[in-house]
Amino acid sequence: MLTTIAAAQLPVLAALLAAGALAKVRTAVNESEPGALSRLGPAALVVERWRLPALLGCAAGEVVLLVGLMLTGHSLFRWGAATFFAVSTYVLWELRRRRPDVGCGCFGEVSAIPVGLRSLGRTMVLTAMAVGTVWTPPVPGWAVVAGLTWSQLAAVAGGLLVLAALSPEIEEAAARLRHRAPCEQRPLDPSTALSRLRSSAAWRAHERLLSSTEPVDSWRELCWRFFVYPGHSHAGDPADVVFAIYLSGRHPAVRVAMVDAAGRPIEIGSLQESIPVSA
Amino acid sequence: MPYRSVDRRRVLAAAALGRSLDEPGALPGDGELLRSVIGEILDVSPHLIVIDTPDGREERLVIAPWATAWRGEAVAPADLPPGAQVIIRALRSGRVVDRIWADITRITGVIQSVGSGSGDRTMELYCGPHRGRRTVVIPYRASGRLRVRHPQFEPGYLFDAIGVRENGVAQARLPATSQPPYRWTAVPEPPPGYSGAQSRISGTATWSDAFDHDEQGAAYPMLERSDADCQDAGVSCTGLPYLALGSMLNVRNVCAGRTSVLPIVACGCLAGRFCDRCLECGTSPRGRIVELSATAFVELGGDLTKGCFNARVGLG
Repeated sequence: MLTTIAAAQLPVLAALLAAGALAKVRTAVNESEPGALSRLGPAALVVERWRLPALLGCAAGEVVLLVGLMLTGHSLFRWGAATFFAVSTYVLWELRRRRPDVGCGCFGEVSAIPVGLRSLGRTMVLTAMAVGTVWTPPVPGWAVVAGLTWSQLAAVAGGLLVLAALSPEIEEAAARLRHRAPCEQRPLDPSTALSRLRSSAAWRAHERLLSSTEPVDSWRELCWRFFVYPGHSHAGDPADVVFAIYLSGRHPAVRVAMVDAAGRPIEIGSLQESIPVSA
Repeated sequence: MPYRSVDRRRVLAAAALGRSLDEPGALPGDGELLRSVIGEILDVSPHLIVIDTPDGREERLVIAPWATAWRGEAVAPADLPPGAQVIIRALRSGRVVDRIWADITRITGVIQSVGSGSGDRTMELYCGPHRGRRTVVIPYRASGRLRVRHPQFEPGYLFDAIGVRENGVAQARLPATSQPPYRWTAVPEPPPGYSGAQSRISGTATWSDAFDHDEQGAAYPMLERSDADCQDAGVSCTGLPYLALGSMLNVRNVCAGRTSVLPIVACGCLAGRFCDRCLECGTSPRGRIVELSATAFVELGGDLTKGCFNARVGLG
Protein backbone atom coordinates (compact mmCIF):
# COMPACT_ATOMS: atom_id res chain seq x y z
CA MET A 1 0.00 0.00 0.00
CA LEU A 2 2.70 2.45 1.07
CA THR A 3 4.78 1.46 -1.95
CA THR A 4 1.80 2.16 -4.21
CA ILE A 5 1.36 5.63 -2.75
CA ALA A 6 5.09 6.34 -2.89
CA ALA A 7 5.36 5.18 -6.51
CA ALA A 8 2.37 7.31 -7.49
CA GLN A 9 4.16 10.43 -6.32
CA LEU A 10 6.60 10.23 -9.23
CA PRO A 11 4.18 11.91 -11.69
CA VAL A 12 3.33 14.50 -9.02
CA LEU A 13 7.01 15.37 -8.61
CA ALA A 14 7.43 15.54 -12.37
CA ALA A 15 4.43 17.86 -12.73
CA LEU A 16 5.75 20.17 -10.03
CA LEU A 17 9.25 20.22 -11.53
CA ALA A 18 7.84 21.00 -14.99
CA ALA A 19 5.61 23.80 -13.69
CA GLY A 20 8.44 25.29 -11.63
CA ALA A 21 10.95 25.24 -14.50
CA LEU A 22 8.45 26.71 -16.95
CA ALA A 23 7.37 29.51 -14.62
CA LYS A 24 10.97 30.40 -13.79
CA VAL A 25 12.00 30.61 -17.43
CA ARG A 26 8.91 32.69 -18.16
CA THR A 27 9.76 35.11 -15.37
CA ALA A 28 13.36 35.36 -16.55
CA VAL A 29 12.28 36.05 -20.14
CA ASN A 30 9.55 38.54 -19.25
CA GLU A 31 11.67 40.42 -16.77
CA SER A 32 10.04 43.80 -17.36
CA GLU A 33 11.87 45.79 -14.74
CA PRO A 34 15.32 45.46 -13.33
CA GLY A 35 15.14 44.64 -9.69
CA ALA A 36 12.09 42.39 -9.95
CA LEU A 37 14.30 39.41 -9.30
CA SER A 38 15.56 40.97 -6.11
CA ARG A 39 12.15 40.21 -4.64
CA LEU A 40 12.17 36.58 -5.64
CA GLY A 41 13.50 33.47 -4.02
CA PRO A 42 17.09 32.33 -3.96
CA ALA A 43 17.96 35.05 -6.49
CA ALA A 44 17.55 37.57 -3.68
CA LEU A 45 20.39 35.92 -1.77
CA VAL A 46 23.02 36.47 -4.47
CA VAL A 47 24.52 39.65 -5.90
CA GLU A 48 22.67 41.40 -8.68
CA ARG A 49 24.58 40.14 -11.67
CA TRP A 50 24.15 36.52 -10.57
CA ARG A 51 20.41 36.77 -10.06
CA LEU A 52 19.30 35.84 -13.56
CA PRO A 53 21.85 32.99 -13.84
CA ALA A 54 20.74 31.72 -10.41
CA LEU A 55 17.10 31.64 -11.50
CA LEU A 56 17.89 29.99 -14.81
CA GLY A 57 20.29 27.56 -13.14
CA CYS A 58 17.54 26.53 -10.76
CA ALA A 59 15.20 25.98 -13.73
CA ALA A 60 17.89 23.96 -15.56
CA GLY A 61 18.34 21.74 -12.49
CA GLU A 62 14.62 21.11 -12.42
CA VAL A 63 14.58 20.20 -16.12
CA VAL A 64 17.47 17.72 -15.67
CA LEU A 65 15.69 16.04 -12.75
CA LEU A 66 12.40 16.02 -14.67
CA VAL A 67 13.95 14.36 -17.72
CA GLY A 68 15.87 11.88 -15.56
CA LEU A 69 12.83 10.90 -13.51
CA MET A 70 10.58 10.49 -16.50
CA LEU A 71 12.94 8.66 -18.85
CA THR A 72 14.97 6.46 -16.52
CA GLY A 73 14.37 4.56 -13.36
CA HIS A 74 17.90 5.22 -12.08
CA SER A 75 18.06 5.90 -8.38
CA LEU A 76 20.58 8.72 -9.01
CA PHE A 77 17.79 11.01 -10.19
CA ARG A 78 15.52 10.01 -7.31
CA TRP A 79 18.23 10.78 -4.80
CA GLY A 80 18.91 13.93 -6.81
CA ALA A 81 15.29 15.05 -6.50
CA ALA A 82 15.32 14.33 -2.78
CA THR A 83 18.51 16.34 -2.34
CA PHE A 84 17.16 19.16 -4.52
CA PHE A 85 14.00 19.54 -2.41
CA ALA A 86 15.91 19.15 0.86
CA VAL A 87 18.30 21.90 -0.17
CA SER A 88 15.32 24.01 -1.29
CA THR A 89 13.78 23.61 2.15
CA TYR A 90 17.00 24.84 3.73
CA VAL A 91 17.26 27.74 1.27
CA LEU A 92 13.67 28.81 1.93
CA TRP A 93 14.27 28.57 5.67
CA GLU A 94 17.35 30.73 5.25
CA LEU A 95 15.45 33.11 2.97
CA ARG A 96 12.69 33.47 5.52
CA ARG A 97 15.28 34.30 8.16
CA ARG A 98 17.40 36.68 6.10
CA ARG A 99 14.90 38.31 3.74
CA PRO A 100 11.41 37.97 5.24
CA ASP A 101 10.05 40.36 2.61
CA VAL A 102 10.80 38.36 -0.52
CA GLY A 103 8.79 35.60 -2.11
CA CYS A 104 10.08 32.08 -2.66
CA GLY A 105 10.07 32.41 -6.45
CA CYS A 106 9.32 28.69 -6.71
CA PHE A 107 6.92 29.42 -9.58
CA GLY A 108 8.53 32.60 -10.80
CA GLU A 109 6.87 35.93 -10.19
CA VAL A 110 3.57 34.37 -9.09
CA SER A 111 5.40 33.32 -5.92
CA ALA A 112 6.05 36.89 -4.83
CA ILE A 113 4.21 36.39 -1.54
CA PRO A 114 6.72 36.29 1.34
CA VAL A 115 7.84 32.79 2.29
CA GLY A 116 5.51 31.39 4.89
CA LEU A 117 5.01 28.12 6.64
CA ARG A 118 2.95 26.83 3.71
CA SER A 119 5.78 27.27 1.21
CA LEU A 120 8.16 25.65 3.66
CA GLY A 121 5.70 22.84 4.29
CA ARG A 122 5.39 22.27 0.56
CA THR A 123 9.12 21.72 0.05
CA MET A 124 9.17 19.41 3.08
CA VAL A 125 6.31 17.34 1.60
CA LEU A 126 8.12 17.29 -1.75
CA THR A 127 11.30 16.10 -0.03
CA ALA A 128 9.37 13.32 1.68
CA MET A 129 7.77 12.32 -1.63
CA ALA A 130 11.14 12.24 -3.36
CA VAL A 131 12.70 10.15 -0.58
CA GLY A 132 9.71 7.81 -0.81
CA THR A 133 10.28 7.18 -4.51
CA VAL A 134 13.80 5.90 -3.79
CA TRP A 135 12.39 2.66 -2.35
CA THR A 136 9.92 2.04 -5.15
CA PRO A 137 10.64 -0.21 -8.15
CA PRO A 138 13.17 1.38 -10.54
CA VAL A 139 10.85 2.06 -13.47
CA PRO A 140 10.91 5.24 -15.57
CA GLY A 141 8.28 7.89 -14.89
CA TRP A 142 6.55 7.45 -18.24
CA ALA A 143 5.99 3.76 -17.45
CA VAL A 144 4.39 4.71 -14.11
CA VAL A 145 2.08 7.19 -15.88
CA ALA A 146 1.20 4.66 -18.57
CA GLY A 147 0.36 1.96 -16.06
CA LEU A 148 -1.56 3.97 -13.46
CA THR A 149 -4.14 1.92 -11.60
CA TRP A 150 -7.21 3.45 -9.93
CA SER A 151 -5.62 3.25 -6.53
CA GLN A 152 -2.47 4.93 -7.84
CA LEU A 153 -4.61 7.59 -9.54
CA ALA A 154 -6.22 8.33 -6.19
CA ALA A 155 -2.76 8.60 -4.64
CA VAL A 156 -1.68 11.04 -7.39
CA ALA A 157 -4.79 13.15 -6.80
CA GLY A 158 -4.16 13.04 -3.06
CA GLY A 159 -0.57 14.20 -3.52
CA LEU A 160 -1.63 17.03 -5.80
CA LEU A 161 -4.34 18.10 -3.34
CA VAL A 162 -1.87 18.23 -0.46
CA LEU A 163 0.49 20.34 -2.58
CA ALA A 164 -2.36 22.61 -3.74
CA ALA A 165 -3.36 23.20 -0.14
CA LEU A 166 0.22 24.21 0.60
CA SER A 167 0.45 26.59 -2.39
CA PRO A 168 -0.30 30.24 -1.71
CA GLU A 169 0.26 30.88 -5.44
CA ILE A 170 -3.11 29.39 -6.38
CA GLU A 171 -5.04 32.10 -4.56
CA GLU A 172 -2.91 34.81 -6.13
CA ALA A 173 -3.40 33.41 -9.64
CA ALA A 174 -7.16 33.16 -9.10
CA ALA A 175 -7.33 36.75 -7.86
CA ARG A 176 -5.44 37.95 -10.91
CA LEU A 177 -7.85 36.19 -13.23
CA ARG A 178 -10.97 37.29 -11.40
CA HIS A 179 -10.22 40.99 -10.96
CA ARG A 180 -9.36 42.67 -14.19
CA ALA A 181 -8.51 46.33 -13.89
CA PRO A 182 -11.73 48.32 -13.86
CA CYS A 183 -12.67 50.12 -17.06
CA GLU A 184 -11.44 53.48 -15.69
CA GLN A 185 -7.92 52.13 -15.35
CA ARG A 186 -7.61 50.21 -18.59
CA PRO A 187 -5.94 51.87 -21.57
CA LEU A 188 -8.49 51.79 -24.38
CA ASP A 189 -8.00 52.61 -28.02
CA PRO A 190 -9.82 55.73 -29.27
CA SER A 191 -10.45 54.10 -32.67
CA THR A 192 -12.60 51.37 -31.05
CA ALA A 193 -14.74 54.03 -29.41
CA LEU A 194 -14.98 55.89 -32.72
CA SER A 195 -16.21 52.81 -34.56
CA ARG A 196 -18.73 52.13 -31.78
CA LEU A 197 -19.93 55.72 -32.15
CA ARG A 198 -20.26 55.45 -35.95
CA SER A 199 -22.48 52.40 -35.59
CA SER A 200 -24.74 53.94 -32.94
CA ALA A 201 -28.26 55.29 -33.34
CA ALA A 202 -27.23 58.64 -31.85
CA TRP A 203 -24.67 59.10 -34.63
CA ARG A 204 -27.22 58.35 -37.38
CA ALA A 205 -29.72 60.74 -35.81
CA HIS A 206 -27.24 63.63 -35.67
CA GLU A 207 -25.04 63.00 -38.65
CA ARG A 208 -26.87 65.54 -40.81
CA LEU A 209 -26.14 68.28 -38.26
CA LEU A 210 -22.38 67.85 -38.58
CA SER A 211 -20.42 69.97 -41.00
CA SER A 212 -17.48 67.57 -40.92
CA THR A 213 -17.17 63.92 -40.05
CA GLU A 214 -13.68 64.42 -38.63
CA PRO A 215 -13.68 65.22 -34.92
CA VAL A 216 -12.00 68.47 -33.88
CA ASP A 217 -11.27 67.31 -30.35
CA SER A 218 -11.32 64.04 -28.46
CA TRP A 219 -10.48 63.13 -24.90
CA ARG A 220 -11.13 60.46 -22.36
CA GLU A 221 -12.40 60.88 -18.83
CA LEU A 222 -12.84 57.80 -16.63
CA CYS A 223 -14.87 55.33 -18.67
CA TRP A 224 -16.16 57.88 -21.19
CA ARG A 225 -14.59 59.06 -24.43
CA PHE A 226 -15.71 62.34 -25.93
CA PHE A 227 -15.65 63.33 -29.59
CA VAL A 228 -16.42 66.88 -30.67
CA TYR A 229 -17.57 67.71 -34.21
CA PRO A 230 -18.24 71.10 -35.77
CA GLY A 231 -21.88 71.39 -36.72
CA HIS A 232 -24.90 73.61 -36.74
CA SER A 233 -28.13 73.69 -34.78
CA HIS A 234 -31.59 73.20 -36.28
CA ALA A 235 -31.84 76.99 -36.53
CA GLY A 236 -28.60 77.04 -38.54
CA ASP A 237 -26.30 78.60 -35.94
CA PRO A 238 -22.80 77.16 -35.68
CA ALA A 239 -22.41 74.84 -32.72
CA ASP A 240 -20.25 72.01 -31.41
CA VAL A 241 -21.79 68.55 -31.32
CA VAL A 242 -20.26 66.43 -28.58
CA PHE A 243 -20.69 62.68 -28.32
CA ALA A 244 -19.82 60.73 -25.19
CA ILE A 245 -19.29 57.00 -25.58
CA TYR A 246 -19.09 54.59 -22.66
CA LEU A 247 -16.02 52.49 -23.14
CA SER A 248 -17.21 49.19 -21.73
CA GLY A 249 -19.52 46.70 -23.43
CA ARG A 250 -20.26 45.85 -27.05
CA HIS A 251 -23.24 48.18 -27.43
CA PRO A 252 -22.26 51.01 -25.16
CA ALA A 253 -24.34 53.99 -24.16
CA VAL A 254 -23.81 57.05 -26.36
CA ARG A 255 -24.82 60.48 -25.12
CA VAL A 256 -24.96 63.53 -27.32
CA ALA A 257 -25.24 67.26 -26.69
CA MET A 258 -24.94 70.43 -28.68
CA VAL A 259 -23.24 73.50 -27.31
CA ASP A 260 -23.12 76.93 -28.92
CA ALA A 261 -20.07 79.14 -29.15
CA ALA A 262 -20.87 80.85 -25.87
CA GLY A 263 -20.95 77.53 -24.02
CA ARG A 264 -24.74 77.23 -23.65
CA PRO A 265 -26.30 73.83 -24.36
CA ILE A 266 -28.80 73.82 -27.23
CA GLU A 267 -31.87 71.64 -27.09
CA ILE A 268 -31.49 69.12 -29.90
CA GLY A 269 -34.48 66.84 -29.55
CA SER A 270 -37.31 67.88 -31.90
CA LEU A 271 -39.80 66.87 -29.24
CA GLN A 272 -39.14 66.67 -25.56
CA GLU A 273 -39.66 63.14 -24.39
CA SER A 274 -41.26 64.20 -21.17
CA ILE A 275 -42.48 67.51 -19.94
CA PRO A 276 -41.60 68.15 -16.33
CA VAL A 277 -44.68 68.94 -14.26
CA SER A 278 -44.47 70.70 -10.98
CA ALA A 279 -47.27 70.26 -8.57
CA MET B 1 -6.08 65.25 -32.73
CA PRO B 2 -6.06 69.00 -32.17
CA TYR B 3 -6.46 69.97 -28.58
CA ARG B 4 -8.62 72.97 -27.83
CA SER B 5 -9.14 74.85 -24.64
CA VAL B 6 -9.41 73.22 -21.26
CA ASP B 7 -12.49 75.30 -20.41
CA ARG B 8 -14.29 74.26 -23.57
CA ARG B 9 -13.78 70.58 -22.77
CA ARG B 10 -15.26 71.10 -19.35
CA VAL B 11 -18.37 72.76 -20.77
CA LEU B 12 -18.83 70.13 -23.47
CA ALA B 13 -18.38 67.19 -21.08
CA ALA B 14 -20.85 68.72 -18.62
CA ALA B 15 -23.40 69.19 -21.42
CA ALA B 16 -23.04 65.66 -22.76
CA LEU B 17 -23.26 63.90 -19.40
CA GLY B 18 -25.66 66.32 -17.74
CA ARG B 19 -23.18 67.22 -15.03
CA SER B 20 -23.07 70.46 -13.16
CA LEU B 21 -20.25 72.80 -14.04
CA ASP B 22 -17.73 72.97 -11.23
CA GLU B 23 -16.01 76.28 -10.92
CA PRO B 24 -12.33 75.97 -10.02
CA GLY B 25 -11.21 77.41 -6.73
CA ALA B 26 -10.89 76.70 -3.05
CA LEU B 27 -13.81 75.11 -1.24
CA PRO B 28 -14.67 76.31 2.24
CA GLY B 29 -13.05 74.02 4.76
CA ASP B 30 -11.12 74.22 7.97
CA GLY B 31 -9.68 77.57 8.89
CA GLU B 32 -9.22 80.78 7.04
CA LEU B 33 -8.84 80.77 3.25
CA LEU B 34 -5.23 81.19 2.22
CA ARG B 35 -4.20 83.31 -0.72
CA SER B 36 -0.98 83.10 -2.62
CA VAL B 37 0.64 86.20 -4.03
CA ILE B 38 3.57 86.05 -6.38
CA GLY B 39 5.80 88.77 -7.68
CA GLU B 40 9.15 90.50 -7.47
CA ILE B 41 10.24 92.32 -4.34
CA LEU B 42 10.44 96.07 -4.84
CA ASP B 43 11.06 96.96 -1.24
CA VAL B 44 10.96 95.17 2.08
CA SER B 45 11.08 96.30 5.68
CA PRO B 46 10.45 94.33 8.89
CA HIS B 47 6.74 95.15 8.75
CA LEU B 48 5.90 95.78 5.11
CA ILE B 49 6.72 94.21 1.78
CA VAL B 50 6.09 95.82 -1.60
CA ILE B 51 5.99 93.52 -4.59
CA ASP B 52 5.47 93.89 -8.31
CA THR B 53 2.97 91.23 -9.47
CA PRO B 54 3.23 89.62 -12.94
CA ASP B 55 0.25 91.67 -14.17
CA GLY B 56 2.11 94.88 -13.37
CA ARG B 57 0.35 95.88 -10.16
CA GLU B 58 2.18 96.97 -7.06
CA GLU B 59 1.00 95.13 -3.95
CA ARG B 60 1.77 96.25 -0.42
CA LEU B 61 1.39 93.58 2.23
CA VAL B 62 1.78 93.71 5.96
CA ILE B 63 4.27 91.18 7.35
CA ALA B 64 2.83 89.36 10.36
CA PRO B 65 5.12 89.25 13.42
CA TRP B 66 5.32 85.44 13.18
CA ALA B 67 6.06 85.40 9.45
CA THR B 68 9.15 83.55 8.27
CA ALA B 69 10.97 83.54 4.98
CA TRP B 70 13.08 81.03 3.08
CA ARG B 71 15.77 81.70 0.55
CA GLY B 72 18.01 78.65 0.49
CA GLU B 73 17.71 78.65 4.26
CA ALA B 74 15.42 80.25 6.82
CA VAL B 75 15.93 84.01 6.86
CA ALA B 76 14.15 87.00 8.38
CA PRO B 77 11.71 88.55 5.89
CA ALA B 78 13.49 91.89 6.11
CA ASP B 79 16.74 90.29 4.89
CA LEU B 80 15.32 89.30 1.52
CA PRO B 81 17.02 91.16 -1.32
CA PRO B 82 14.97 93.45 -3.58
CA GLY B 83 14.55 91.85 -6.98
CA ALA B 84 13.93 88.36 -5.60
CA GLN B 85 10.96 86.42 -7.00
CA VAL B 86 8.68 85.52 -4.13
CA ILE B 87 5.67 83.35 -3.43
CA ILE B 88 3.79 84.59 -0.42
CA ARG B 89 1.22 82.72 1.63
CA ALA B 90 -1.13 85.47 2.74
CA LEU B 91 -3.98 85.63 5.23
CA ARG B 92 -6.86 88.09 5.57
CA SER B 93 -7.87 88.16 1.89
CA GLY B 94 -4.27 88.34 0.85
CA ARG B 95 -3.22 91.39 2.90
CA VAL B 96 -1.11 89.82 5.66
CA VAL B 97 2.06 87.86 4.94
CA ASP B 98 2.29 84.53 6.76
CA ARG B 99 5.21 82.90 4.93
CA ILE B 100 7.54 83.91 2.12
CA TRP B 101 9.52 81.71 -0.25
CA ALA B 102 12.04 83.65 -2.31
CA ASP B 103 13.65 82.47 -5.57
CA ILE B 104 12.50 78.95 -4.80
CA THR B 105 12.63 76.36 -7.53
CA ARG B 106 11.98 72.67 -7.70
CA ILE B 107 14.15 70.48 -9.85
CA THR B 108 12.40 67.24 -10.77
CA GLY B 109 13.67 65.05 -13.54
CA VAL B 110 15.66 62.12 -14.76
CA ILE B 111 19.41 62.33 -14.37
CA GLN B 112 21.09 62.51 -17.76
CA SER B 113 24.64 63.29 -16.79
CA VAL B 114 26.52 64.33 -13.69
CA GLY B 115 29.68 66.39 -13.76
CA SER B 116 32.68 64.84 -12.10
CA GLY B 117 34.83 66.51 -9.52
CA SER B 118 34.79 66.95 -5.81
CA GLY B 119 33.49 70.53 -5.55
CA ASP B 120 30.24 71.91 -6.98
CA ARG B 121 28.81 69.51 -9.52
CA THR B 122 26.59 70.19 -12.51
CA MET B 123 23.77 67.84 -13.29
CA GLU B 124 21.81 67.61 -16.51
CA LEU B 125 18.17 66.51 -16.11
CA TYR B 126 15.42 65.44 -18.47
CA CYS B 127 12.19 66.94 -17.17
CA GLY B 128 9.65 65.33 -19.50
CA PRO B 129 8.65 65.94 -23.13
CA HIS B 130 6.91 69.25 -22.36
CA ARG B 131 9.49 70.66 -20.03
CA GLY B 132 12.68 69.73 -21.78
CA ARG B 133 16.06 69.63 -20.14
CA ARG B 134 17.40 71.53 -17.19
CA THR B 135 20.79 72.04 -15.72
CA VAL B 136 21.20 72.20 -11.98
CA VAL B 137 24.21 72.95 -9.85
CA ILE B 138 24.72 70.86 -6.74
CA PRO B 139 26.82 72.95 -4.39
CA TYR B 140 29.41 71.04 -2.40
CA ARG B 141 27.88 72.11 0.92
CA ALA B 142 24.45 70.71 -0.08
CA SER B 143 25.73 67.53 -1.66
CA GLY B 144 25.97 65.50 1.55
CA ARG B 145 22.39 66.30 2.43
CA LEU B 146 21.22 65.43 -1.08
CA ARG B 147 23.24 62.23 -1.35
CA VAL B 148 21.68 60.84 1.82
CA ARG B 149 18.28 60.82 0.12
CA HIS B 150 19.58 60.40 -3.45
CA PRO B 151 22.21 57.66 -3.31
CA GLN B 152 22.24 57.06 -7.07
CA PHE B 153 23.76 59.98 -8.96
CA GLU B 154 23.67 57.97 -12.18
CA PRO B 155 21.96 58.47 -15.52
CA GLY B 156 18.47 56.97 -15.63
CA TYR B 157 17.62 57.52 -11.96
CA LEU B 158 15.10 60.10 -10.78
CA PHE B 159 16.06 63.28 -8.99
CA ASP B 160 13.86 65.63 -7.02
CA ALA B 161 15.22 68.55 -5.06
CA ILE B 162 14.28 72.00 -3.91
CA GLY B 163 16.65 74.84 -4.49
CA VAL B 164 17.09 78.49 -5.23
CA ARG B 165 17.62 80.37 -8.47
CA GLU B 166 20.70 82.54 -8.27
CA ASN B 167 21.74 84.57 -11.31
CA GLY B 168 19.60 82.37 -13.54
CA VAL B 169 21.18 79.14 -12.26
CA ALA B 170 19.20 76.59 -10.28
CA GLN B 171 21.09 75.50 -7.18
CA ALA B 172 19.82 72.43 -5.35
CA ARG B 173 19.60 72.77 -1.58
CA LEU B 174 17.22 70.22 -0.09
CA PRO B 175 16.12 66.77 -1.20
CA ALA B 176 12.39 66.90 -1.94
CA THR B 177 11.94 63.17 -1.55
CA SER B 178 13.84 59.95 -1.14
CA GLN B 179 15.07 58.83 -4.53
CA PRO B 180 13.12 55.86 -5.90
CA PRO B 181 15.42 52.82 -6.02
CA TYR B 182 14.44 51.91 -9.60
CA ARG B 183 15.28 53.54 -12.92
CA TRP B 184 12.65 55.86 -14.33
CA THR B 185 11.54 53.32 -16.94
CA ALA B 186 10.97 50.62 -14.32
CA VAL B 187 8.06 52.00 -12.30
CA PRO B 188 6.39 49.28 -10.20
CA GLU B 189 3.04 48.01 -11.47
CA PRO B 190 -0.05 49.27 -9.65
CA PRO B 191 -1.71 46.74 -7.35
CA PRO B 192 -4.61 44.87 -8.99
CA GLY B 193 -7.90 46.72 -8.69
CA TYR B 194 -9.77 44.35 -6.43
CA SER B 195 -13.00 46.28 -6.20
CA GLY B 196 -13.55 48.60 -9.12
CA ALA B 197 -12.34 52.16 -9.24
CA GLN B 198 -12.41 54.22 -6.11
CA SER B 199 -13.93 57.67 -6.26
CA ARG B 200 -11.22 59.15 -4.05
CA ILE B 201 -7.59 58.13 -4.23
CA SER B 202 -5.02 58.86 -1.57
CA GLY B 203 -1.37 59.48 -2.19
CA THR B 204 1.04 62.35 -2.25
CA ALA B 205 0.68 65.73 -3.93
CA THR B 206 3.75 67.72 -4.87
CA TRP B 207 4.38 71.03 -6.59
CA SER B 208 6.30 72.12 -9.62
CA ASP B 209 7.39 75.49 -10.98
CA ALA B 210 6.88 74.39 -14.57
CA PHE B 211 3.42 75.98 -14.68
CA ASP B 212 2.72 79.48 -15.92
CA HIS B 213 2.91 82.30 -13.41
CA ASP B 214 -0.11 82.47 -11.21
CA GLU B 215 -1.68 79.43 -12.88
CA GLN B 216 -4.05 77.44 -10.69
CA GLY B 217 -3.86 73.97 -12.06
CA ALA B 218 -2.55 70.48 -11.71
CA ALA B 219 -0.53 67.98 -13.70
CA TYR B 220 -1.93 64.46 -13.63
CA PRO B 221 -0.01 61.34 -14.67
CA MET B 222 -2.81 59.12 -15.96
CA LEU B 223 -3.69 60.64 -19.34
CA GLU B 224 -4.17 58.67 -22.55
CA ARG B 225 -1.00 58.99 -24.57
CA SER B 226 -2.81 59.78 -27.78
CA ASP B 227 -4.83 62.58 -26.15
CA ALA B 228 -2.06 64.28 -24.24
CA ASP B 229 0.46 63.99 -27.07
CA CYS B 230 2.89 62.63 -24.51
CA GLN B 231 4.53 59.26 -24.91
CA ASP B 232 5.57 59.17 -21.27
CA ALA B 233 2.04 59.58 -19.86
CA GLY B 234 -0.14 56.86 -18.41
CA VAL B 235 2.38 55.45 -15.93
CA SER B 236 1.74 55.31 -12.21
CA CYS B 237 2.29 52.84 -9.41
CA THR B 238 -1.15 53.68 -8.01
CA GLY B 239 -4.34 52.46 -9.62
CA LEU B 240 -5.32 55.83 -11.05
CA PRO B 241 -8.26 56.29 -13.41
CA TYR B 242 -7.73 57.88 -16.80
CA LEU B 243 -8.60 61.57 -16.98
CA ALA B 244 -7.98 64.26 -19.56
CA LEU B 245 -6.60 67.75 -19.83
CA GLY B 246 -9.54 69.86 -18.74
CA SER B 247 -10.96 67.44 -16.17
CA MET B 248 -11.61 69.02 -12.81
CA LEU B 249 -9.84 67.47 -9.86
CA ASN B 250 -10.96 67.80 -6.30
CA VAL B 251 -7.69 67.92 -4.35
CA ARG B 252 -7.79 67.72 -0.58
CA ASN B 253 -4.83 68.38 1.64
CA VAL B 254 -5.46 65.79 4.33
CA CYS B 255 -2.92 67.38 6.66
CA ALA B 256 -4.37 70.90 6.57
CA GLY B 257 -8.00 69.96 5.91
CA ARG B 258 -8.23 72.23 2.85
CA THR B 259 -9.82 71.38 -0.48
CA SER B 260 -9.60 72.97 -3.92
CA VAL B 261 -11.12 72.18 -7.27
CA LEU B 262 -8.38 72.46 -9.89
CA PRO B 263 -8.31 71.81 -13.62
CA ILE B 264 -5.79 69.39 -15.11
CA VAL B 265 -3.67 71.60 -17.31
CA ALA B 266 -0.58 69.49 -17.95
CA CYS B 267 0.65 65.97 -18.30
CA GLY B 268 2.34 64.77 -15.10
CA CYS B 269 4.39 62.19 -16.89
CA LEU B 270 7.35 62.47 -14.51
CA ALA B 271 5.24 62.75 -11.37
CA GLY B 272 3.77 59.33 -12.16
CA ARG B 273 7.25 57.82 -12.18
CA PHE B 274 7.75 58.59 -8.49
CA CYS B 275 6.38 55.86 -6.30
CA ASP B 276 7.16 57.66 -3.07
CA ARG B 277 5.30 58.52 0.08
CA CYS B 278 4.75 61.81 1.87
CA LEU B 279 5.46 61.97 5.57
CA GLU B 280 3.93 65.38 6.16
CA CYS B 281 1.27 64.06 8.57
CA GLY B 282 1.47 60.33 9.02
CA THR B 283 2.57 58.17 6.13
CA SER B 284 0.66 58.58 2.91
CA PRO B 285 -0.13 55.66 0.62
CA ARG B 286 2.46 55.11 -2.07
CA GLY B 287 2.37 57.08 -5.30
CA ARG B 288 2.54 60.66 -6.52
CA ILE B 289 -0.96 61.23 -7.77
CA VAL B 290 -0.93 64.89 -8.63
CA GLU B 291 1.55 67.70 -9.18
CA LEU B 292 0.24 71.18 -8.42
CA SER B 293 1.28 74.62 -9.51
CA ALA B 294 3.13 76.44 -6.73
CA THR B 295 0.27 78.88 -6.10
CA ALA B 296 -2.33 76.11 -5.85
CA PHE B 297 -0.01 74.16 -3.53
CA VAL B 298 0.41 77.16 -1.23
CA GLU B 299 -3.31 77.89 -1.15
CA LEU B 300 -3.98 74.31 -0.11
CA GLY B 301 -1.77 74.90 2.91
CA GLY B 302 1.34 73.13 1.64
CA ASP B 303 4.85 74.18 2.57
CA LEU B 304 6.98 74.56 -0.56
CA THR B 305 10.19 73.59 1.21
CA LYS B 306 8.67 70.31 2.44
CA GLY B 307 7.70 69.55 -1.11
CA CYS B 308 4.58 67.42 -0.60
CA PHE B 309 1.46 66.85 1.40
CA ASN B 310 -0.76 63.82 1.94
CA ALA B 311 -3.55 64.25 -0.55
CA ARG B 312 -6.88 62.76 -1.43
CA VAL B 313 -7.91 63.33 -5.00
CA GLY B 314 -11.19 62.75 -6.78
CA LEU B 315 -12.97 63.91 -9.88
CA GLY B 316 -14.89 67.19 -9.67
